[in-house]
Amino acid sequence: MKPAPTLLPTAFLHPAGQALPEPLLALRKQRGAALVDMPLPTRKTENWKYSSKHLKLTDEMAISLPIDGKAGSALAVPGYKVVFINGVMIPEASEYPDLNNILIQRFGDLSDAEASELAGQLDSTLDKNTVQLAGLNSARFEDGLVIRLKAGAVLDQPLFIIHEITAGASGSAFPRIFVDAGTNSQITLVEEYISSGQDAVMVNTVTEFNLAEGANVTSIRLCMDGENVQHVGATGVRQQRSSRFESHCVGFGGPLRRHDLQVSLEGEGAECKLNGVVVTQGTQHYDNHTNIEHVAAHCDSEETYRNIATDKSHAVFNGRIHIHQDAQKSNANMNNNNLLLSTGAEIDTKPELEIYADDVKCAHGATIGQLDEESLFYLVSRGIGRREANVLLTMAFINELVAQIPLEVVRDTVQVRLNHFFDQSFQGI
Amino acid sequence: MLSIKNLHASVEGKEILKGINLEIKAGEVHAIMGPNGSGKSTLSQVLAGNDAFEVTSGEVTLNGENLLEKETEERAREGVFLAFQYPVEIPGVSNLQFMRTAVNAMRHHKGEPEMNAAEFMKLAREVSKQVDLDPAFLKRGVNEGFSGGEKKRNEIMQALLLQPKLAILDETDSGLDIDALKVVSDGVNALRAQDRAILMVTHYQRLLDHIVPDYVHVLADGKIVKSGGRELALELEERGYGWLGIKEDATEASSAN
Ligand SMILES: Nc1ncnc2c1ncn2[C@@H]1O[C@H](COP(=O)(O)OP(=O)(O)O)[C@@H](O)[C@H]1O
Ligand SMILES: [Mg+2]
Repeated sequence: MKPAPTLLPTAFLHPAGQALPEPLLALRKQRGAALVDMPLPTRKTENWKYSSKHLKLTDEMAISLPIDGKAGSALAVPGYKVVFINGVMIPEASEYPDLNNILIQRFGDLSDAEASELAGQLDSTLDKNTVQLAGLNSARFEDGLVIRLKAGAVLDQPLFIIHEITAGASGSAFPRIFVDAGTNSQITLVEEYISSGQDAVMVNTVTEFNLAEGANVTSIRLCMDGENVQHVGATGVRQQRSSRFESHCVGFGGPLRRHDLQVSLEGEGAECKLNGVVVTQGTQHYDNHTNIEHVAAHCDSEETYRNIATDKSHAVFNGRIHIHQDAQKSNANMNNNNLLLSTGAEIDTKPELEIYADDVKCAHGATIGQLDEESLFYLVSRGIGRREANVLLTMAFINELVAQIPLEVVRDTVQVRLNHFFDQSFQGI
Repeated sequence: MLSIKNLHASVEGKEILKGINLEIKAGEVHAIMGPNGSGKSTLSQVLAGNDAFEVTSGEVTLNGENLLEKETEERAREGVFLAFQYPVEIPGVSNLQFMRTAVNAMRHHKGEPEMNAAEFMKLAREVSKQVDLDPAFLKRGVNEGFSGGEKKRNEIMQALLLQPKLAILDETDSGLDIDALKVVSDGVNALRAQDRAILMVTHYQRLLDHIVPDYVHVLADGKIVKSGGRELALELEERGYGWLGIKEDATEASSAN
């Protein structure tokens, strides 16, 4: 007899009582109803094969985190700033402009009409069958941020969204972001996930981008949550004609890090560029699942993900490209290169190509390797220390991707974290 | 400066160096010649500390200190430099960053202050001119996509930057056209100094037209079978290796069995 599946604990179906406009409360309720009796993913669930054992959804994890309205003000960024503490937006700590062609608002401040429009859009960029846990966010978000750029609007500075976990207790945070980029609008959005607390918290996050014709969106996502945080995130992107979406995801491992990135190219001439860098150590686990839907003809996708894993850590990359029947002249390029710094580490990489159009260019490549002994010898033969030689070669593996991140402050933040990683993983060399 | 006594080394269980004896004094230039596969690169790599090669017996001292017990990077910091026969390509590490890291590692070792990016750039531009490499090569990945000749000039550039005590040049002349050979030999001649020893490994005599060695040694099947002055090189040029009882190409000979 088949064992009964483990279901999502019912405690997750009781959202906390932040004040939200009625249409969003209704949406939450409806999404929650869909989760009743939802079986949790197991290792038999294909897209959770490697990660299900790291997912800990207990009653305790279902508790809403305390709202800490004072934290976060000290975070300095070179641009606009929105601060979420423990999953809830803190207006007092946020600094962003009040413009008439760019609306930046928290869910709680929306009028019923605005909330109703938003409720009709939430979840529209994600495939709920493959990002099961995004539904949990939709049932539980306590507050969120909506950004609407009107036609031709250009946000003149990057907008940093800082998600900080300060909680001194277990539980979950459900931050939610929706970006509606109108015709020919432009925005650079940085999402930074950090923690100052040490508690076992789940961050269950959903970010959606809706790009109208000619919109140009750059999304930077730094997954630097604390060492006990389970991070389960999804990003959904829909692109209309001639729009451009560029994504830079940099992540460091944890007990569970999962990111689903789904891009749907729905208008001719749309293009996306997806870069990813993942670094894991100790017993950390990181799982990136990306999916690019080439729905319309003449679209380009370019994807480059690199994983570095050391100690006994585990990194997973699953990249799907689906070229629909009408998507002639699609140009899709996917690369996943992996560096194993220790024999105990594991990396699993899987390209999934489904091509139903005949006139397309679609290339993919995956490699798994170690640092090259000859290169190491060459470097040390010039007097360069072993540790430094290891660092140079490891950086060489990801330099190109780090260099493409368009904001210096982000590159610096990443470098600081990398240096910390090198200190630990090359200590004693 | 360098003293090698009865050096034996093997790779993957196969003995390549079968008792090398060699003394090189400061200020001297020695040439080692020999057919392909005789062990010239093996000797060079062993001196630089490549642990793909196992030293099974013998001793090597540099200025009286046991070289073999030191790590590669220590040897380099104490003045051993090897210009590789096949310089390694390292995409993702810029040539400039590589060279500055190396120079600063040396300076750190000597207790000198590190050079900042601007200072080093100035120095690197000068030295790149000396070896006729366009400074644009500094920005590229280490040896990445360099032609054979550019790689060799890049090696000499590193030697000029690092100012070693003992420079081992492994076939730095191979693959060079006449002009590049001139540039490289000018570089090597610029390295000649009272307090420096140079060990030139070469397959051909033509480099020795430009860099006149003090001594010439013939390496065959892992042993030095003959030593002499520079006239030995000329004699090899005229008569080949046959008169010494050496097969022209040990690689071919050994690959046949
Ligand atoms: N890494 C290696 N593995 C196996 N055999 C090697 C290796 N390096 C050199 N050899 C062998 O050692 C011998 C000497 O090679 P080498 O020192 O490169 O000669 P040379 O530089 O004089 O041409 C050759 O027979 C070569 O095949
Ligand atoms: Mg050789």
